[in-house]
Amino acid sequence: MRSYKTLALTLVCGACSLDLQNPNAPTVDQVTTSPDGVIALATGLQGRFASSYGNFAYMAGLVTDEFASTSAALISISDAEQGAVPSGTGIADNVFNSVYRTVRTADDLLTGATALAAQFDAGTRSGLRALAFALKAEALGEALQSYQRIPINTLGVTAPTYVPRAQALPLVRSLLDSAAATIAATPPSAFFNASILTPGMNLPNVIQIFRARYARMAGDDATALAAANLVARSGPTALSVLTFPAPTVNFYANVTGGTNGIAPRRQWRLSMAPQDQRFAYFVTPSTTVSGRVGALLDPWSRYASPQANLPVYFPDEALLIKAEALANQNQLAAAQAALDSVRTDCTGGRGLDDPKACLPALTGSLTQGQLLTEIYLQRRYELLGTGLRWEDTRRRNAIRGPVAAPGVPTDGQRCWLPYAIGDRNANPNATFTALPDPVEPAAFPAGCPTT
Amino acid sequence: MSRHLLTLAAAATLGLAAPAFAQGVGTVQGRVSDAASGRPLPDVQVTVADTRLGALTNAQGEFSITAVPAGARTLTARRLGFQPATRAVTVAAGSSVRVEFTLDASALNLSEVVVTGSAAPTEKRKVGTSIASLDSTIVGRAQSVTVDQALQGKLPGAQITQNSGGPGGGGMSVRLRGTNSFISGSDPLYIVDGVIIDNGSSQLADLGTRANPQNRLADLNPADIDRVEIIRGAAAAALYGSRANNGVVQIFTKRGSIGKPRFSLNVRGSSNELREQQPFNLYPFDAAGLPLARFNYQDDIFQRAFGSDANLTVEGGNEQTRYFISGNSMAEDGILRSTSSRRSGARVNLQQQLASNLIANVTANYVNTANQFQAFGEQNDYGIMGSLFFAPTNVDFRPVNGIYPLPPSLGTNPLLAIDRIRNPQNIDRFIGSTKLTFTPVTNLLLDYSIGIDNTGFEQRQFVPRGSVLGTAPLSTGRSQSVFQGTRVINQDGVAAWSWPQVGPFQLRTTGGFNFTSQRVRITNAVANGLAPVGELVSAGSVFAAGQSEVELRTLGFYGQQELEWNDRLFLTGAVRYDASSTFAPSERWQAFPKLSAAYVVTPNRAGAFNSLRVRGALGWAGSQPGILNAYSQYVTFTQLPFAGRPGFVNDVTFGNPDLRNERAREWEVGAEAGFLNGRIGAEATYYDRLVSDLLFFRPLATSTGFSRQFFPIGSMSNKGLELLLRTTNVDRPNLQWTSTVTYARNRNLVESLAIQDFQSAGGYPNRIRTGQPAGVFYGSYAARNCLTGALLLDSLGRYRRSNQTVDMGATAAQRRAISGGTCNDSLNAVIGDPNPDFLASLLNEVTLFKKLRMRLLLDGVFGNDIMNLSTRAQNAGIASNSKEFERELLPYGDPRKLPPGFNARTQGIFEYWIEDGSFVKVREFSASYLLDWAPVKRYFRDGIDLTLSGRNLWVWTDYSGYDPEINLFGTNAGGLGSGQTTAADRGFDFGGYPIPRVWSIGARITY
Repeated sequence: MRSYKTLALTLVCGACSLDLQNPNAPTVDQVTTSPDGVIALATGLQGRFASSYGNFAYMAGLVTDEFASTSAALISISDAEQGAVPSGTGIADNVFNSVYRTVRTADDLLTGATALAAQFDAGTRSGLRALAFALKAEALGEALQSYQRIPINTLGVTAPTYVPRAQALPLVRSLLDSAAATIAATPPSAFFNASILTPGMNLPNVIQIFRARYARMAGDDATALAAANLVARSGPTALSVLTFPAPTVNFYANVTGGTNGIAPRRQWRLSMAPQDQRFAYFVTPSTTVSGRVGALLDPWSRYASPQANLPVYFPDEALLIKAEALANQNQLAAAQAALDSVRTDCTGGRGLDDPKACLPALTGSLTQGQLLTEIYLQRRYELLGTGLRWEDTRRRNAIRGPVAAPGVPTDGQRCWLPYAIGDRNANPNATFTALPDPVEPAAFPAGCPTT
Repeated sequence: MSRHLLTLAAAATLGLAAPAFAQGVGTVQGRVSDAASGRPLPDVQVTVADTRLGALTNAQGEFSITAVPAGARTLTARRLGFQPATRAVTVAAGSSVRVEFTLDASALNLSEVVVTGSAAPTEKRKVGTSIASLDSTIVGRAQSVTVDQALQGKLPGAQITQNSGGPGGGGMSVRLRGTNSFISGSDPLYIVDGVIIDNGSSQLADLGTRANPQNRLADLNPADIDRVEIIRGAAAAALYGSRANNGVVQIFTKRGSIGKPRFSLNVRGSSNELREQQPFNLYPFDAAGLPLARFNYQDDIFQRAFGSDANLTVEGGNEQTRYFISGNSMAEDGILRSTSSRRSGARVNLQQQLASNLIANVTANYVNTANQFQAFGEQNDYGIMGSLFFAPTNVDFRPVNGIYPLPPSLGTNPLLAIDRIRNPQNIDRFIGSTKLTFTPVTNLLLDYSIGIDNTGFEQRQFVPRGSVLGTAPLSTGRSQSVFQGTRVINQDGVAAWSWPQVGPFQLRTTGGFNFTSQRVRITNAVANGLAPVGELVSAGSVFAAGQSEVELRTLGFYGQQELEWNDRLFLTGAVRYDASSTFAPSERWQAFPKLSAAYVVTPNRAGAFNSLRVRGALGWAGSQPGILNAYSQYVTFTQLPFAGRPGFVNDVTFGNPDLRNERAREWEVGAEAGFLNGRIGAEATYYDRLVSDLLFFRPLATSTGFSRQFFPIGSMSNKGLELLLRTTNVDRPNLQWTSTVTYARNRNLVESLAIQDFQSAGGYPNRIRTGQPAGVFYGSYAARNCLTGALLLDSLGRYRRSNQTVDMGATAAQRRAISGGTCNDSLNAVIGDPNPDFLASLLNEVTLFKKLRMRLLLDGVFGNDIMNLSTRAQNAGIASNSKEFERELLPYGDPRKLPPGFNARTQGIFEYWIEDGSFVKVREFSASYLLDWAPVKRYFRDGIDLTLSGRNLWVWTDYSGYDPEINLFGTNAGGLGSGQTTAADRGFDFGGYPIPRVWSIGARITY
């Protein structure tokens, strides 16, 4: 039969092969077997990271007290700002789907960097691997701040298993430790830093702030303190930002208008101490703007320009983690000093483009409880739009339940998101029976069970 | 007779009976009589094939045709109510030859020769499946702008829908025997003179994401068409293999005829108007009861639009060469201001005898189509219809100091859009073919044809700065230029061998191949941040560009064996072996067999029951998922640039390395019967089709970083009945009246799916769901009392929405307490079905005094649901411009008063927007008069044919929107997420372009 076909093909037309190449998109082999392809994966990873981070921060701001929908927004967004996130909505699914795309690309990059180890110099290979470890860890970290249980082994399986935070958090931390160890053993090459790492990002600082963040989440104050101390607090490397040259658009500018529109609630600014200047960094004060269900809003100033960069973290988060770790260890004076350096950060300060409170130092010596409350408060104003607020409210047992408009929420409104429909539809371990959506607390204020 | 079957058939198709190079003319005389009674037949038209010569028989059945070119000729005799008959004669120069015809009474013509689906020319009565054919007079009398419009209402089993009323034909979709695929679309395979042509309807710029303002069949000039053959299903279409699941429409253009050049000029002028305005909220008070000025924008948006169409053809030839040349110019303005379509083209068809046994046919058709469209449908940023439906009626849109005010919350100012937004398109298209027919010996026919369809489609879009609401980038203006080059090359070869007759048996063996290469290339440049002056991309300050290139190749071989016995029983068996580059090499080669039989139970005879033929067929055919999915077998990475650097990430659509084609199995049985001496002819077909391995996206666990995969996801069936009845009601010398009735019912059912259900049109409440017809409406409903069936109302008298906890409570127990039972347990339900129960049409044709011809075509669709999202948009809080919203504004005490918030509540209840979409349209009306007074004939040999005609003149329907026929979705299938659409997406009215009422007047002059 084959020879008959070949003969027939030759008779009809010599060149009409049926095996065509796709000129529009490269195949797996074309990407993963060439150094250029693997380097492009590293860029793709950072692009996906920007998107999953944006989705996480956006959603977390809505279900806490940070954001509300603008007038033309979809109904699911105004529902979310009131604490309602029905299963199957984009709000419930986008974090999950985009996080696991980031994870997938990180895994692809690790595979490629390992397979082509011989074709990269040691410093470049180290940078590629550390980048993949760090961004995969942070993506999974965002997932476990949004869903009660998350899958952690997703490469090469069609039906990933969901595990509670007690199993997921150690994995996140060990990925970050691997990242730190990798670059400690072999510093990233100049080529990696100049041509692979996205301009504006400093990998060692990013790894250490993430280590501090998840060590704190795990209650490991010693590691949190050590890592926070390793994050640069001044100089050009102290900021790590994602950049959006035209025609790309930063995440918050992209969602400001139209059907995904959100803006910070005016209450965020109005609840500040009167002297606090940090609002000026983030928003343009308004007396008129209101949203779809009547929430009072202040439009963004920080992200109003479509090309505004998006910080990977704010440097003062390290100080706040440090203060919290010290306070937990009962080193109250040192904790208060760290906290004061956040409060007194003022114009000129450390020369960074970050929020500056310009508040006076605290007076007197605060108790441990007072310090932790003050840290919680400072985190609210320092870290707007990073999504960290949600875990802060959870940790403080400050989940206060859905607040229907025109009520204005304080703290967090719900514990978890419903699991993503996209996974439920195809993963037998994620069906409604195998993985019921978590039950939200019945009485408030509440904390959130993590198992 | 059968020994020369092939030669005769070839003669009928090719128009040359035998090699003859004779000179001079002779005369043919003869007599025509009724085969049953032997009585002479008057008014029989006897014509000489390939010439324009002919005569009518007199009362004694006698005719005489003079000046017939010498040589072998084929004569055909045709009369109303009888089967046409054909005789071969040899005319000698300077002498006379006599021919006797006997005609069989029959209202159905089964002696016609068809080629579609049968590999080589075959008489219809020998084919085991139902084949429809329409000739140029039927296409021509429709007075339509496009070919597919001309087919509306004429074929049982074909749902031909005009999706929009835009100029240049609107977007037409043709659906033969129901929906047979999701992702591969619903349109049949179109072949013009042997060339597979592109009938894409995709728009290159956003004119309403999934809207269908025009499909590319609109580039064909209906006046060039000689004949259309349609086969509806897999059983008939097996020979077209992996592309024929949706049926095949084959179009043949005119050939020249032997004789001196004959010029024919056909001109037509038309007037298009909006059939009926929609009622809007013109209540002169606002919600607080304060006076308010309101405006009816329909007066400013719609216009009476004019069109013109001119065709000039020249045809002629001699024994060796025949030609047909035509030039066409069509211009039509749309009833929506600032929309228009222009088409001009030329065609040369040439037939040349190269040797005594070798004939070449060459066709060349160039056409330019230039459109100016406006966005409609889903396009709410700058679409005119969307802006009409979404704008409150109390905004004065007239410009102030030259500046057009924008609406308060959504869309644009429609007057601004009409004045300043531009969407010009330019299509340059060439369709050409060459066919060589070689008959080395009498019993062997060899055909080879090669054809090309090359289309350059350019679309620009200009949305000026500040002309739409919202933020950057669109508000900064957009200029876009997209160029799409589509090229289809098609090669076909057929060899047919007629075996010498053995006793009562006659055999024919046919084999052939087909190779098609289809390539689409798109380049796209878009600019935002436009300068204040300048419409082109170069006026922009922020740029983006894109490019894609797709090729799809299909190769197939086939063989067919025909057996006939005693000219009564006809058996055919065939198999096509097909491969497409779309599919994985392991699955690529597929066999599509077919078997069919036809038996003439009662040959034509006199009497009340005068003929019967029965037939049956079984066949398989496939479909491919369309050129946009041509590379779906590959697992690929996709570009994700970041921070100005190129990046790759896995494509979340996972390739399927085992991809294979969709496969349809169909059997059909049918019969044709004649009654009352042929005054009544009836045709009936029952079919049963099962399509399996239907391709669609199955979800993948998103935790793996993928979202979906192209996959054989399920199966679907279509079962139905097609009836056609043709009657001769009156047949008198000065009055003939005939009627044709068609009826078709189809039952579509999704038989199985690998997943429970999936959304068919992204973002819309319709579903593909096991156990339901494809595309059923599925969504929220108004809760009812389970005991009484009455609608449940809240304390203010508003409906309760099934999927809203505010209305129904949060728990099942609360729902049941409110409902008085379990009938409202499900949050969503199947709330409607856009598939019609049946289609029917009635055509009446009357001829008076042989000069005045009148025809009236009624075309109806029955039992289909429409979701009226246009009125839903009107009722939305921001718009509040519907007549129903007006009732909310009325003072308390008025019996029509609706409670406040009533319309806000119904926004979320999709059941509320379902309406019965049944309609009957006066699809065509025409009256033609032949002006053949002597003074006229002195200048114009054949007189002047004057025609007054109308299309879509009246509609009887309960549907409340502009038109029950229009549909938001066109013929495109594909897209992802919120842009996804499948062939099952029917029955959505959302900002559609209303179909106009068209009156036209035309004249045809021949000399």
